[in-house]
Amino acid sequence: MPKNKVVPIEEAMSHVESGMSIAVGGFIGQGDPLTLIDYLKTMDVKDLTIYENDGGYRHRGTVELALQGKIKKIVASHVGTTPDYARLMHEGKIEVEATPQGTLAEMLRCGGAGLGGFLTPTGVGTVAEQGKQVIELDGRRYILVPAVKCDIAIVRAHAGDTWGNLIYRGTSRNFNVPAAMNAHFTIAEVENLYTLGELDPNAIHTSGIFVNAVVRANVEYCTIREEKFNG
Amino acid sequence: MVDAKTTIAARAGRELKDGQIINLGIGLPTLIANFVPEGVDVIIQTENGAIGVGPAPEPGCEDRDRANAGNQPITLIPGGSYFDSATSFAMIRGGHTDATFLGTLQVDEKGNIANWIVPGKMLAGMGGAMDLVTGAKTVYIVSEHCAKDGSSKLMTQCTFPLTGAEECDVIITERALLRRYPDKGFVLEEVAVGYTLDDIAACTDMAYRVAADVRLDAFGE
Repeated sequence: MPKNKVVPIEEAMSHVESGMSIAVGGFIGQGDPLTLIDYLKTMDVKDLTIYENDGGYRHRGTVELALQGKIKKIVASHVGTTPDYARLMHEGKIEVEATPQGTLAEMLRCGGAGLGGFLTPTGVGTVAEQGKQVIELDGRRYILVPAVKCDIAIVRAHAGDTWGNLIYRGTSRNFNVPAAMNAHFTIAEVENLYTLGELDPNAIHTSGIFVNAVVRANVEYCTIREEKFNG
Repeated sequence: MVDAKTTIAARAGRELKDGQIINLGIGLPTLIANFVPEGVDVIIQTENGAIGVGPAPEPGCEDRDRANAGNQPITLIPGGSYFDSATSFAMIRGGHTDATFLGTLQVDEKGNIANWIVPGKMLAGMGGAMDLVTGAKTVYIVSEHCAKDGSSKLMTQCTFPLTGAEECDVIITERALLRRYPDKGFVLEEVAVGYTLDDIAACTDMAYRVAADVRLDAFGE
């Protein structure tokens, strides 16, 4: 019988410590794990390194942690939807490492898949090359990008069962999939929680093998609450 | 009076071919969806994780889990689907996307594109643009011809950090259409209504050839 990983949020988040790296799912508010980010706001942690597509949307998201001084660095494809990140960077309070979106997704996926890195043609001849090895294969140039393995991942799913099998909804799947598989300890907030066997095994997007703790998402961040998932 | 953005989007729409898979950047490129020619069906991919993007939902039918990369609410056409970001960029980087349409800050005569950062200004980031210009089969730059200060965006050599090296295939502005060929570089093929060949020469810094059959009054009002 697969283990029940549903725990109180304080127990799940007790694994987060200062100086850790955190992979964060979501895409400018679509599928952002706001329940877990809200909890992080109450924690006494600092010097976090965030791997996330963006910093959230407007004033919501990890940008709130940045404004609290909890974040040392964010590796993101852009922070254009959260101007405070750019401002903190200009003020020298935070480091922002801009990474092409596809490269960031693959860094997370590879880190979770046991790969040391990958070769991408994206960014050849640009600043994305800086500090990285460029390798020629069959006449085409590629950047060697090392994978990243984070200490923690926080993701948000539309539905999950007690073992941590997850189903996302619409465009909220995004970075939640590569982030969930990436980390040493993955925490999923789910909008709708199911017992084992209730979710269609054919429809699972993230296997519970990648998930270490499951918590309920705050009702206010839920798109649809429903008894049975119907797509 | 049709504004520059509408002129550009309308001309870009005429480039679309039946059955193409396309990705539209945020802002002006999004308008191209309004100018798909009659009888042409294109499939729109959005890099945050959907293919088969349809019209915007009716007011009141927006859904937080259904949006494009610019966070505008979307619908899906029948046959559309959702996927994760790693899969999305397999579609883009892997050469499965026929065309991408992006705005720019600068584009130069080698086809270099600089559209993600102005040195010294607030950082936004490249988002998916570097992957799109690398992976899409045809890269369209759709942009006003000149920057706000009047300087040409069509430069001899980009001065801002690049988004992609030698990736631009076609430039469409409110004044002209230029296409890049491996042996000839950029060729001026069309001039918009209201402009002459001399006008284009005066506002274009990059080297280009004029096509023997260049079309004047080719688009615009």
